[in-house]
Amino acid sequence: MDGKLRELLDISENDFDVVVRITREEDIAIARQMAKQLAQELGFSLADVTKVATAVSELARNIYRYAQTGKIMIRKRLEESGGPTIQVVAADRGPGIESVDRVLARGYTTHERSLGIGLPGVRRLMDFCEIASKVGTGTVVRVEKRRRKF
Amino acid sequence: MAFKDRVVPTIRIGDALLVPIQIDLDDKTVERLQTQLLEEIQEHRVRAVILDVRMVEVIDSYISYTLSETAAMAHLMGCRTVICGIQPPVALTLAQMGIELQGFLVARDLEHAMGLVY
Ligand SMILES: Nc1ncnc2c1ncn2[C@@H]1O[C@H](COP(=O)(O)OP(=O)(O)OP(=O)(O)O)[C@@H](O)[C@H]1O
Ligand SMILES: [Mg+2]
Repeated sequence: MDGKLRELLDISENDFDVVVRITREEDIAIARQMAKQLAQELGFSLADVTKVATAVSELARNIYRYAQTGKIMIRKRLEESGGPTIQVVAADRGPGIESVDRVLARGYTTHERSLGIGLPGVRRLMDFCEIASKVGTGTVVRVEKRRRKF
Repeated sequence: MAFKDRVVPTIRIGDALLVPIQIDLDDKTVERLQTQLLEEIQEHRVRAVILDVRMVEVIDSYISYTLSETAAMAHLMGCRTVICGIQPPVALTLAQMGIELQGFLVARDLEHAMGLVY
């Protein structure tokens, strides 16, 4: 787990189409907007564009709320075997998560004005979701979604 | 409430307050909207607030939390809240995340919303 987290934290920004630094609350809306745009460029259905934008909104807010600063990196992948795919990496060097299993359970939150459904929701909205985190080091959430034929 | 303090222009129809949301709901905006609505409920003694979210493209967990909290506060002030015009992709996303907009009556459109109020 530790190696995985290091690897993800060191991932190069140059490999992504868009990098949004999260430092202010407004950056959450910017990240969401960028995700929406890339999903649209890939030809995602309106429903899937909305799911991707909502998932990115959750990830960006978690960075802002729990780590204060971090970044959202997004890229389009055309050559994936499953078809065109959008990949998002949300990385921060904040306090980290004590138990990833626990945060993936609905209703778990350390924030007083919350439903605690951000991360469980992200996992449901996307096709793939991986969380690497260590207390004192940081958190990286990597998610992706394929374009559906419709 | 001073006009400049309003995040969203509202329209009074009888003793209902219609709130067409036509801007992107970021965190600050949704919090200011909550404050605005509570003040307007008190000031005008409206008995229902109708939130029209036709133009809203993303409702995530925090936005829905704050909207539900607003509905709960309005309820305590003797006011009903109706949400209408949730777009199909937004409804799908909310359903998949398991978010129920608690405290709201849900209407298909404005006409249905007015029907629920009167
Ligand atoms: N980037 C992060 N760094 C540190 N802790 C985090 C991070 N993201 C999430 N957490 C922890 O995981 C918990 C669950 O996160 P999740 O997004 O699922 O719910 P929430 O943020 O508490 O509420 P909601 O997203 O519904 O508003 C948080 O309360 C927080 O303790
Ligand atoms: Mg969250």
